[in-house]
Amino acid sequence: MAHTSESESHALDQPWRIWASVAIFGIVLSGVVLGVVIIPVVQGRSDGIDAYTAICRALGILPGSPARQQVTDRTPPAPVSQVVWTPDLLQILANAKPERGRAKAQEVCVACHGEQGVSAAPEYPHLAGQSGAAIYKQLNDYRTGSRTHQLMTDIAKALDEPTLADVAAYYAAQPKRNLNLKTLAESPPAIVHLVELGDPSRNIPPCAACHRPGSGGPIEAPILAEQGQEYIVRQLKLYASGERRNDVYGRMRTIAAKLTPGEIDGLAAYYRAGFR
Amino acid sequence: MTDRPAEIHEKRILGTELLWAFGVGVLVAATLSVIVFTALSRDINPPSNVERSDPKTLHLSGEFAEHNLGTTVGPDGRVTVRIIATQFMFVPRCIAVPRGREVTLRFASPDVVHGLLITGTNVNTMVVPGFVAQVHTEFTRGEDLLMPCHEYCGLGHSEMWATVQVMPDDQFKPGPDGRVSCAQR
Amino acid sequence: MRNVERLCLAHFWVAFAAFLVACFLGAWQMWVRSPWGANVGTPGQYFMSVTAHGVSMAYVLTTFFIMGFGYFVAVTSLGRPLPGKVWAWVAFWMAIVGVVMVLVPIIMGQASVLFTFYPPLTASPWFYIGLVLVVVGSWVWCVLMLVAMREWKRENPGQPVPLAMFATVANAVMWLWTTVGVAAELLFQVIPASLGIVQTIDAGLARTLFSWTLHAIVYFWLIPAYIAFYTLVPRAAGGRLYSDTMGRLTFILFLIFSLPVGMHHLMMDPQHGNGWKFIQVLLTVFVSVPTLLTVFTITASLEIAGRLRGGRGVFGWIAKLPWERPAVLATGLAFVMLGFGGFGGLINNGYGMNAMIHNTSWVTAHFHLIFGGSVVVMYFAIAYEIWPRLTGREHASPAPLRWQLWLWFIGMMVMTLPWHWLGLQGQWRRVANFNYDDPIIAAWGPWVLVSLFGGLVLLASALLFVRNLAVLHRSPLPVTQRPLYALAVHPPHRVPAALNGFGLWNVLVLVLMLLAYGYPIAQFVIEPSPAAMVHRLH
Repeated sequence: MAHTSESESHALDQPWRIWASVAIFGIVLSGVVLGVVIIPVVQGRSDGIDAYTAICRALGILPGSPARQQVTDRTPPAPVSQVVWTPDLLQILANAKPERGRAKAQEVCVACHGEQGVSAAPEYPHLAGQSGAAIYKQLNDYRTGSRTHQLMTDIAKALDEPTLADVAAYYAAQPKRNLNLKTLAESPPAIVHLVELGDPSRNIPPCAACHRPGSGGPIEAPILAEQGQEYIVRQLKLYASGERRNDVYGRMRTIAAKLTPGEIDGLAAYYRAGFR
Repeated sequence: MTDRPAEIHEKRILGTELLWAFGVGVLVAATLSVIVFTALSRDINPPSNVERSDPKTLHLSGEFAEHNLGTTVGPDGRVTVRIIATQFMFVPRCIAVPRGREVTLRFASPDVVHGLLITGTNVNTMVVPGFVAQVHTEFTRGEDLLMPCHEYCGLGHSEMWATVQVMPDDQFKPGPDGRVSCAQR
Repeated sequence: MRNVERLCLAHFWVAFAAFLVACFLGAWQMWVRSPWGANVGTPGQYFMSVTAHGVSMAYVLTTFFIMGFGYFVAVTSLGRPLPGKVWAWVAFWMAIVGVVMVLVPIIMGQASVLFTFYPPLTASPWFYIGLVLVVVGSWVWCVLMLVAMREWKRENPGQPVPLAMFATVANAVMWLWTTVGVAAELLFQVIPASLGIVQTIDAGLARTLFSWTLHAIVYFWLIPAYIAFYTLVPRAAGGRLYSDTMGRLTFILFLIFSLPVGMHHLMMDPQHGNGWKFIQVLLTVFVSVPTLLTVFTITASLEIAGRLRGGRGVFGWIAKLPWERPAVLATGLAFVMLGFGGFGGLINNGYGMNAMIHNTSWVTAHFHLIFGGSVVVMYFAIAYEIWPRLTGREHASPAPLRWQLWLWFIGMMVMTLPWHWLGLQGQWRRVANFNYDDPIIAAWGPWVLVSLFGGLVLLASALLFVRNLAVLHRSPLPVTQRPLYALAVHPPHRVPAALNGFGLWNVLVLVLMLLAYGYPIAQFVIEPSPAAMVHRLH
């Protein structure tokens, strides 16, 4: 009895197994034949691409479209900043020694930037609580000449790479002053708008989208909170004129060129007042 | 169809289902035929370049260095446009392309995933860091087009867009270095 | 039935609570994007809302609803208590912990990565770990469904598994396959990156693994609606299911063809060759087959019901259907939305046309219409149908139920149809703030407002839905005993193993996945893509 129903069920099941497998293989085979062989080879003929190359491109083994010749480019490199953000570099920054940085800062930096990273003169930026990655990049750019300054260029060239990381770590660890010179309500609405919402008509993203910590923007974006007003104004003007050009792909040059002088002043005052 | 359901013969049910399935099969075949036909006759493909490129060193490279971006006409007359998509802008912000000629657009991102489309055209591609995205197309209408970033790339995504100026032949004049810039308007 | 009421109700209430909150968020998002709400709310707030809305609708509403419905089907269709009920409760509470772990970072603004994650953007690790917990809870559900079916088969050798349970287990099997992609992406790539263990992420591989899950998951959501079509609606309409075999075939076809098609979500991505995209496009066309077969079979089943009620002529039976019953009304509305949404899906699949609409509002319109529309309206119908059995009380009147369904349908059509149009014009996605000074964008403004109005109607419908279920708990009417599941015109006595189990189909799914996703994933191991630096949003 059991034997009969077993062969019965086998007879019932066998066709399903066979036809399902045939159908699936047939569908996949037609997909492969069409998509990997016929279409790329036929397309390749229109631009003189041989069948083998066309099939490799369709599989993604070679770059390019099966239907068009691939573009080549031999432009020599000309970077605006030599800093390359790699895991190794982040490891160096993470392992940097603030104590060593403090020692070097006492020698070289505190005269202008202050011991706690609060600079005495308005033309020198505050460094307290600044992003270590941002400080490192600027020091490195001074060193390589991507950014120039009558004092900083020679100072940076005299330091070696690990020292740059140590100094950056030292100042990054200095606490912010928690200024709160103004309330948000006292800030001009147009400035707050620019910081929080940007201006889509001018392609200006919100400043906060890059400069607020935790915004997910570029790694080298500096923290602007509590930065000196005169310094911010000067840097924005240098970006606008193109004289400062170490922002990768012109992110800041493009934005600064579109800000009005009133906005530049207003933004600098906003950040000086301690807003994030 | 009779009144009492159990009187509908099992074979009849199967017959109607098979007939419908045949119709579905025709629809499936028709849909696929359209895709295959346009692929064979008009070289329609999705953008699939599979060209690896390190996003971390993109700004150091030759091809995607700042000074090499934008529209270039090669010695063989091929028009190539190179664009960087980064947080939160396209570089260059305005792109000049010729009307009625084949153009190759190449995009790369040094940071996160972006995407773009050019309104009114078939240009639509993702830009994934690690790969160069490439689109071959021909601009048929001579007007200014919008090229927004259409993939969430961070908090500044909404403000990220570029302009494409489609120029007729008399305005699309490459300089001595083969580069073409947007007209100042 | 006494076995699982509390378990089912717990799952459903979590699902619908998340749903209601997400509806409020959706309405706010629509207002902020419109001309009337321009410049209200920051991008930080907007993308926080989009993340919460997406996670609630796509992960919480769906998973909890499907788990609750599955437990209900396992007990009622098989006529036996749920095996391992303790584990079901463990899974529930684990998923609740997961939901809390997901919501807290979102509210703190540390997880604005949207429900599709977008690495190299990374959120707080708690966000991802919470989602993993929800998925693990759902895996427990899958195992319990398989165990329940296996035990029933042992007690009923040679008998066909009741269709509702067969379909539920098909869904469970498919879900186990589906979650492999996102689990691999989270466990091996995204969570290590968010914890700071690695500083880079292979974006191409992450997107590919996610695409594995991304299409199949929508069928995970959709199958319960089709279970309702096949097993609840013919009974509710007073007819019979036209073909039980067709039902089984439909769910098997979904199991096979939902998985090896995810690459059509990567159609515009540069990391895969045309050939692989074409193969998955071809397979995608086949995933439209079970839907088209279902439309015929369910229409025929309803025709039986209509003619039994005196319908004559080619179309006379349509008017004779009991449209006053919520399940029947919902089916009609679902079919209309399925028509529009399904057509949109076919457009998305042809890559020439996909290039016109990828990442535009068309895509948003498509999935809101087909999931938020056809599928969720059937979730409502299922809830209305089984709530009396769970609470022991009857709806006081079906009128508010019908009102709610109509409001949902009208709201969904009014919201999504303009979105389709705007997408064709190039309106792009995930925008916190449109610049309505630009003339092109200004021209879109009126349509955005129409959509907003639709969204508000949906919010009203969502509130009415929750109200309809809440008042049922205190209804004075006792539940009227009546059969739940539909009978087929020719109930099966014997079905082949292929239509009673999943051994053969699992093998074919494995073969298909190896062929469709094998090299596309292996290429990242053979030649890793240059990795991108992580961008932390926390």
